[in-house]
Amino acid sequence: MDARTQSMSKKKMSSAIKGYLILCVMVFLSWLVFKILTPDNFGTLDNMLSYFQASLIASAGAVGFYLVIVMGMFDFSIGAAIILASIIGCKLAAMGYGYVGLLGGCLLTGAVVGTLNGFFYIKLRIPSMIITTGLALIYESLANMIAGGAAQTLPANLRLFGQMPGNIILALLTFFAAYAILNYTKIGTYTYAIGSNEFIAKNMGINVDFYKFLAFLISGVFFGIMSVLTISYGSSMVAVTGMASMSRNFVPTMGCFFGLAFKKYGIPIQAIVIGEFMINIIFYGFVALGAPTAIQDVITGFALLIIVALTTKMVKGAIVK
Amino acid sequence: MSEVRLQIQHLSKSFGITKAVRDVSFNVSKGEVHALIGENGSGKSTLTNMLTGIYTIDSGKFILDGKEVHPKNQVEANNEGISIIVQELGTLSGLTVAENIFLGHEERFVKYGIKNTREMNRQANELLKQYDFSHIRAEEQIDEYNFEDRKLIEIIKATYFNPKIVVIDETTTALSQEGREELYKQMNRIREAGNSVIFISHDLAEVLDKSDSITIMRDGSYIDTVRSSDVTEDDLKRLMVGREVSGDYYRTDYGEKVSDEVVLSVDDVSVPGLLHDISFNLHKGEILGFGGLSESGMHEVGKAVFGASYGRTGKVTLADGTEINNISSAINHSIAYTSKDRDNESLILNQSIEDNITLPSLNDLAGPLKSLSDKKLRTFAEKYAKQMSVKMQDVDQFVSDLSGGNKQKVVLARWIGKGSDILVLDSPTRGIDIKVKQDIYQLMNRMRQNNKSIIMISEELMELIGMCDRIIIMKDGAINGELTRSKELNENMLISKMV
Repeated sequence: MDARTQSMSKKKMSSAIKGYLILCVMVFLSWLVFKILTPDNFGTLDNMLSYFQASLIASAGAVGFYLVIVMGMFDFSIGAAIILASIIGCKLAAMGYGYVGLLGGCLLTGAVVGTLNGFFYIKLRIPSMIITTGLALIYESLANMIAGGAAQTLPANLRLFGQMPGNIILALLTFFAAYAILNYTKIGTYTYAIGSNEFIAKNMGINVDFYKFLAFLISGVFFGIMSVLTISYGSSMVAVTGMASMSRNFVPTMGCFFGLAFKKYGIPIQAIVIGEFMINIIFYGFVALGAPTAIQDVITGFALLIIVALTTKMVKGAIVK
Repeated sequence: MSEVRLQIQHLSKSFGITKAVRDVSFNVSKGEVHALIGENGSGKSTLTNMLTGIYTIDSGKFILDGKEVHPKNQVEANNEGISIIVQELGTLSGLTVAENIFLGHEERFVKYGIKNTREMNRQANELLKQYDFSHIRAEEQIDEYNFEDRKLIEIIKATYFNPKIVVIDETTTALSQEGREELYKQMNRIREAGNSVIFISHDLAEVLDKSDSITIMRDGSYIDTVRSSDVTEDDLKRLMVGREVSGDYYRTDYGEKVSDEVVLSVDDVSVPGLLHDISFNLHKGEILGFGGLSESGMHEVGKAVFGASYGRTGKVTLADGTEINNISSAINHSIAYTSKDRDNESLILNQSIEDNITLPSLNDLAGPLKSLSDKKLRTFAEKYAKQMSVKMQDVDQFVSDLSGGNKQKVVLARWIGKGSDILVLDSPTRGIDIKVKQDIYQLMNRMRQNNKSIIMISEELMELIGMCDRIIIMKDGAINGELTRSKELNENMLISKMV
């Protein structure tokens, strides 16, 4: 190994460590700020474990959604998909299908939603933001019709994935799957290739439309897993209409931005998971402070945008759209 | 007679009403470097893009080793034994070096849907070692490497599978001398292995030196195929342009005194990591050249003068004391800039010629209520497009449809229309054919005579020697010497200060 090669390897190693360090410092600072402000009811070890478990829910969806975001597309139907999948999974579970109904219902619904998103995006050639916004309205209405206006409650004996160790095992399997897709399949390579330059990717024989479709489909399945964790953790789900599901888009999307920001350190999946943990620390910190929800949202939004802006460190002169 | 590798038979291609390639037929032999030359817009790249699957064929066929081939994309072309190295960057950010090398050919590393990344990296590292590019590591992100290294990776990508035909499309202009030597070495290797290279270049000296035979195209049609040893540069120019072209298209004046009047002063300008304490003056009616190796910082000088550098310190001052610190003040004070990266930094490709020419002059063309008249804009664009002899259907045509030379004419038309007095031209003739080059040199000379001042940044030493009153040579981000126009000035004198 020549000197330049050795220095490059060291550089790569230090790059990932640097990424982890930045993330850990951010987590620590988030914890420290609220620990100082409200020392008695925030940030104990038990509290932190609880925040971490809560963060696993959005992380499970975000690691799949990352494929869509990297390709330069977007999805505004996340919240609607979660609600629809949770309600269908919950209904099937309550109908006597147990865990098979819960897992099958959520994952299949996620897959169908992803398929529809991808299909309409590819066929109609309309920006993904518009397509998924339109479809979100349909998914919301569908969920409302299926739920019949009532809250759907998951039977108490089917909440394995709402607590330790079930939730952690399912989440870890999900993260591992996302990591494997990105690093050990053609899909991961093509995802980055399409995100980098679609024209060149097409010229290299990559079926761009197919892989974009696949990204939505995979993302949908991950949102299905997120639905399992959501309904298991919260135990019930209420269908909403009029785009009220949009508020559920925020957390997984922000997690993806962490992934994008830390892609340069080679740890996007890890960054999503740690980033979501930090989002939860901030969220529960505000809860501990007793801040009104509106103030919480404003400050959380600002804080996260600042964090992502600071960590992304765009190349000077680079065009951002 | 040598054995035929590729037969091109009656090939045609149109884009709308534009016939880019018209009934072209010629053969490429085994074990030869076959140059393909012609003016911008002559159809060379369209032809090779059909061969490599980037464009579909309208009519005609390619016969490779007796079998008709019609690839639909580059991977299919690769599978047929055809590959291409393009002028601009052909690698993808966000992927590793190994992923770039094997992009589209991952199947060989995939078992049960799982990609064997370790094996892919191992094979890529072996290739890098074979090609003597050991400083590049297969597992690294490609973004870790500079333009030059990424071009070397493209060379591996295009040649590692021993293709029968490798198309090298105007690649050398993007490379430093070192990179060019590496490319020439690979061309020889391909030739010695009995395979063939289709070599597209505007540098006729390079074409004569490196190729065995040369096919000339003009206006989409086949003109002739000649042996390199049988022709001179002037013969090639005549065949390309269709008439006699004077060999000395550079300036012919020597000893003319340049005005003492300074129009622009650059004092102690630095840009972090790129430029260190650069100072010089530009005089009225002067063409001041900047030369050096591609990473010497010379391209940053242009950006620094135009206010487009980041973190610049020092002063750029006009004769009246106005300081230029950003692009707006540069344009408002009659400074123009054309970037080396024409497509990304100078033009808005998916807009019309009219939009591109009128863009910096919109304020000047606006009416009393800042309203813009379509007629006025069109007349303005037509006037300057015509003045620059842009080959086009009309000014509504998208710039993306134009050849490289005509794109450059649009960029220049924009600044001539703006009436700029100081022009910073970075690589103004990059990738441009001999006829358009001549037009640009003549334009620069006329501008100089009309007291316009020009900073010309170029990697082409002959054009610096031929066109400039003074040449500043850059090395490692600093000025390493200055040479004055004279008949005795030669390339070696410049090179000695560059390296």
